[in-house]
Amino acid sequence: MLELKDLNSGYDFLQVLWDVSLKVDDGEFVALIGPNGAGKSTTLRTIAGIVQAKSGEVIFDGKPITGEPAHLVSRMGISYVSEALNLFTDMSVRENLLLGAYAVKEREVQLETLEYIFELFPRLEERRDQLTGTMSGGERKMTAIARGMMSNPTLMLVDEPSLGLQPNLTYDVFDALLKLRDQGVTILLVEQNVNATLDITDRAYILEQGRIVMEGPSKEVKADDHVRNAYLGI
Amino acid sequence: MAKEQIAAPKTQEGFTTWLKDNLPVVIVSVFSLALLIAVYIKGGPPQIFNILVTGGMWSLLATGLALVFGVMNIPHFAHGESFMVGAFVGYFVFNPLNQILFENPNPLLKVTAPILAILAAGAVGAVLGVIIERIIFAPLRHRTKQGWVMNAFLLTVGISFVLTNGTTLVLGPNFRGIPRFYDVDAVELAGAFIAVDRIMATAIALVTIALLWFFLRQTRTGRAIRAVSQDETGAQLVGINLDFIHTLTFSLATATAAISGASLLFMFQAYPTVGVTPLYFSWYVVMLVGLGNIAGAIVGGFIVALLQSSTQLFIGLSWQSVVPTVVMILVLVMAPSGLFGSEVKGVQEQ
Repeated sequence: MLELKDLNSGYDFLQVLWDVSLKVDDGEFVALIGPNGAGKSTTLRTIAGIVQAKSGEVIFDGKPITGEPAHLVSRMGISYVSEALNLFTDMSVRENLLLGAYAVKEREVQLETLEYIFELFPRLEERRDQLTGTMSGGERKMTAIARGMMSNPTLMLVDEPSLGLQPNLTYDVFDALLKLRDQGVTILLVEQNVNATLDITDRAYILEQGRIVMEGPSKEVKADDHVRNAYLGI
Repeated sequence: MAKEQIAAPKTQEGFTTWLKDNLPVVIVSVFSLALLIAVYIKGGPPQIFNILVTGGMWSLLATGLALVFGVMNIPHFAHGESFMVGAFVGYFVFNPLNQILFENPNPLLKVTAPILAILAAGAVGAVLGVIIERIIFAPLRHRTKQGWVMNAFLLTVGISFVLTNGTTLVLGPNFRGIPRFYDVDAVELAGAFIAVDRIMATAIALVTIALLWFFLRQTRTGRAIRAVSQDETGAQLVGINLDFIHTLTFSLATATAAISGASLLFMFQAYPTVGVTPLYFSWYVVMLVGLGNIAGAIVGGFIVALLQSSTQLFIGLSWQSVVPTVVMILVLVMAPSGLFGSEVKGVQEQ
């Protein structure tokens, strides 16, 4: 479904990613793990088209999408839920969600998806008319994930959903992601909460200093000595 | 349970908090209402109608400014030239039509000629907006966002110079006016006679503002425009094409300014520097209410018109630019982000 081939990327003169290659198959739930500053978010931003790759290829559904502008990448079925969330803070939850389905032109389809999302996240239906700028961190994260789903994406890139959340809310967010996976959505998840992430994902990549240093099924990665030492502190 | 507690506070306490939260709005409303009553007592219905005509015009122009500033972060100082272009287009479309009417009267054309002229101005404005955005702002935006506000400001000043002097070069500095769009008697309204042109100009301004408001609030594209003004990255992530929204916004602003230029042709003649007064007054409005605040710009237009006409009535005609400016300075000293404030994306960090 998604494949990165020798991707080099970064900001102006600062190169962050060095020959990153990774692969996500249909329906897979894949984690991308690494310390701060390793380039996890840059990887997602490059796939989403917000950061331009310096060289290498991003292939989605067999087609190269390197260098496509972000709004076209989004319309191809890749939804990026950014770390900063990028919600429209002066708009209600409902308006945010409807904008998530901006690329869907038929109003009926938009409203149908909205109903479906509200079934999935009843909490958001309660808050439908609240301005997202006045919501709590957990609710905003839910809104961002829900907005990302409104376009019926086939691939979701989720960036640090647990950042700044208290532990029980983190599990709410993870539950939401698992629900998504059960719907058949492919997910590439970037997370700092390594322990929980490796429990729920199928496969994992470890990114350190802009390079992929390890990959494998999450269980094996979790059992690895380096990971246990550096990330799990056991 | 918590909800019930919030819903039923002690009345007095609730009122105090409400007052505290809405203090600027309350002060402005009370002050405006008092002024309005004073104007009505001294000047009667014609003065009130005057406020509606000028207020509608300032509102329409200020809405365009607020839109361009809120969505694109451009302090637009060539907005008056859009007004000027509208006035010229209105003149050059209406005059030949009027000539035809003079030679062979036709009731249908008589009613539609002014509307045709105003619509033509709107269309030319929209096209001009697209051209300016595509060849001037889009390339700059793609090259760099550094120092954007300052660069964009200087560019608009440059555009203003080019348009004003270009018009002088081609058409000369002459004044081209029409005495009136509708050659009919004034209408009696609440004991006062009001020219049909004024009624039409007010109606056009109000209808255009209402349409624009509906467009921004209720349509998919309008919602996308507001989304871009709140978070550009977020907008891109949901599939909104920033280039399209920026061009559309600029085009809308130029078109609305051109419409007001054409519909006020009987008040302002068409000449190369006619845009200066409308430009300054619409800037008063947006600075008074807070940059980028569209709802505020609509209300602010009428507040400035009220200030102008009460100054004219109680102090003297020559003071009508002075008093609104002084009020604006005082407001900015006390509330630097304007009466209703508004957080404008990106200005702080750039």
